[in-house]
Amino acid sequence: MDDTLILGGETLSSRLILGSGKFADTATMIAAVKASGTGLVTVALRRFNPDQPTDDLMGPLMAIPGLKLMPNTSGARDAKEAVKAAYIARELCGSRFIKVEIHPNPHHLLPDPIETYEACRILAADDFIVMPYMPADPVLAKRLEEVGVASVMPLGAAIGTGHGMATREMIEIIIRDSHVPVIVDAGLRAPSEAAAAIEMGCAAVLVNSAVAASDHPVGMAEAFKEAVAAGWKAWCSGLMPTSETAVATSPLTSFLGS
Amino acid sequence: MPASMPSWLNDTAAPAVQRLKKTLENPCSDAALEALAATAQALTRRHFGRTISLYAPLYLSNYCSGGCVYCGYAADREIPRHKLTLDQARVEMLALRTMGIEEILLLTGERTPRADYAYLRRHVDLAAGIFPSVAIETFPMSEEEYRGLVEAGCTSVTLYQETYDPARYEALHRWGDKADYLSRLEAPERALAAGIRHVGVGALLGLSEPVMEMIRLFNHVHRLRKKFWRAGVSVSFPRLRPQAGGYQAAYPVDERWLARLIFILRTLLPDTPLVLSTRETPAFRDGMAGVGISKMSVASRTTVGGYSDHEDKDPGQFDVSDARDVRAFCAMLREKGLEPVFKNWDMVYRH
Repeated sequence: MDDTLILGGETLSSRLILGSGKFADTATMIAAVKASGTGLVTVALRRFNPDQPTDDLMGPLMAIPGLKLMPNTSGARDAKEAVKAAYIARELCGSRFIKVEIHPNPHHLLPDPIETYEACRILAADDFIVMPYMPADPVLAKRLEEVGVASVMPLGAAIGTGHGMATREMIEIIIRDSHVPVIVDAGLRAPSEAAAAIEMGCAAVLVNSAVAASDHPVGMAEAFKEAVAAGWKAWCSGLMPTSETAVATSPLTSFLGS
Repeated sequence: MPASMPSWLNDTAAPAVQRLKKTLENPCSDAALEALAATAQALTRRHFGRTISLYAPLYLSNYCSGGCVYCGYAADREIPRHKLTLDQARVEMLALRTMGIEEILLLTGERTPRADYAYLRRHVDLAAGIFPSVAIETFPMSEEEYRGLVEAGCTSVTLYQETYDPARYEALHRWGDKADYLSRLEAPERALAAGIRHVGVGALLGLSEPVMEMIRLFNHVHRLRKKFWRAGVSVSFPRLRPQAGGYQAAYPVDERWLARLIFILRTLLPDTPLVLSTRETPAFRDGMAGVGISKMSVASRTTVGGYSDHEDKDPGQFDVSDARDVRAFCAMLREKGLEPVFKNWDMVYRH
């Protein structure tokens, strides 16, 4: 059972991707990253602050051997800003990964589908490994696939809400139709929800608030690691089909003959 | 004659406003206050994580044409008047940068020939070369003037209505541009229409009856968010402090009241930054950090300049209650399991 995930030619050993914001301190964030077993962490360009090490998230993450960084464009309101941020982030941290995150409304932080499409179109054509945070819209997912994104990352629920897989029906359609890995990003609260997302066919999950805002982020990171591994093992093992009617283990009508 | 109030400001029919009104009008037991605080903390943590965003104010000038009865910088106060030159402001800004500050709030009094729009714009331009985030708290402007500030690098405008009660407003603002209630009320909309990305609003608590102030403040936030859906809106909770002029609050708001107001606003606006300044005491600020409040000022000086030269000789606009430096304040936050965040914005997002 091959547990590796390949995104844009990069091989990752974990199907858990972690966000780096909202932690009480950098040491806790780093400990949670290590405990999660993740190989890919996203960090906002706006939280890069090399001038002030105690306020910087990028430097400590870059110091973890083998960890890949995925800068994100959180704060960008449109494609133009996101593209500019992506180029600067690539120069600063040397990663080809870019999480396109365009939320024009700074309160609910929901992604703008039109600007996201435009930014992905530009960045995918220039050798970025483009990972768009997007509404759970099956049509948009296919349009993004056509412009060359490495994955699609539909939201399970709004960022920070912890409402889980509120968009489950749409994500099922996206998984069914997608040629690129589908990664649920945002909304997950419990490790069991992450396991369920992988069980239904998501290639990975991205969590941040669920770990950072928990009482014990390092313990929660471990719990997500185990849940994602369990979900993947279940997916690989093939879940039994569901049925609306009971199916007896011994046929009930064999006495009738054929 | 007091200005007529727009009808949207007085709307009490919306369910959220009903809830706000009912909660604030009813007595609040210790147990109920504790439960409200727990909800406020959970919502703050859910949306903002275990972080507190920090900023610092820089008073550019205390020249003022305003006649605010309650303000230590009003035009008729006999206080020494100063303004920073560009060179002096640069020194102050670099001193703030050395402290780690990444978001600066530039303040002036009401518009005067000595500290006018051109003066402010030059200083915004200077600050934008030094800080990722540049906010202003000055005088209301035209949309065109705000557009000029956007070009200079201004990201945020803070403008408190002071009081949303038109009659009280008229009584408290004796002359000048600031006597125009509607012009001030509509200024955040002009700023956002001009391309400013974020506005901060608030009522100066103590000037008017606080329940109606909160209802109108809530309605103001809602209107701004609906009309300018790309904009960020934050709410501050300034409370009257002792100042030159000796004005006594007509409607005193004690700490328990203030905490209640903040907690209930957090439950109604779970994704809105709520801001608390150094007007409040260290004990109160420590208690409120992360419990509703998501953003705080730090190491504030309310005299003109004051960061490069720590000898305060002049009275400030009001008395600062929390005089801790950046290091001490951040140590408190870390002790409470909260991460101080200085940089949460990047120059790349400025046009």
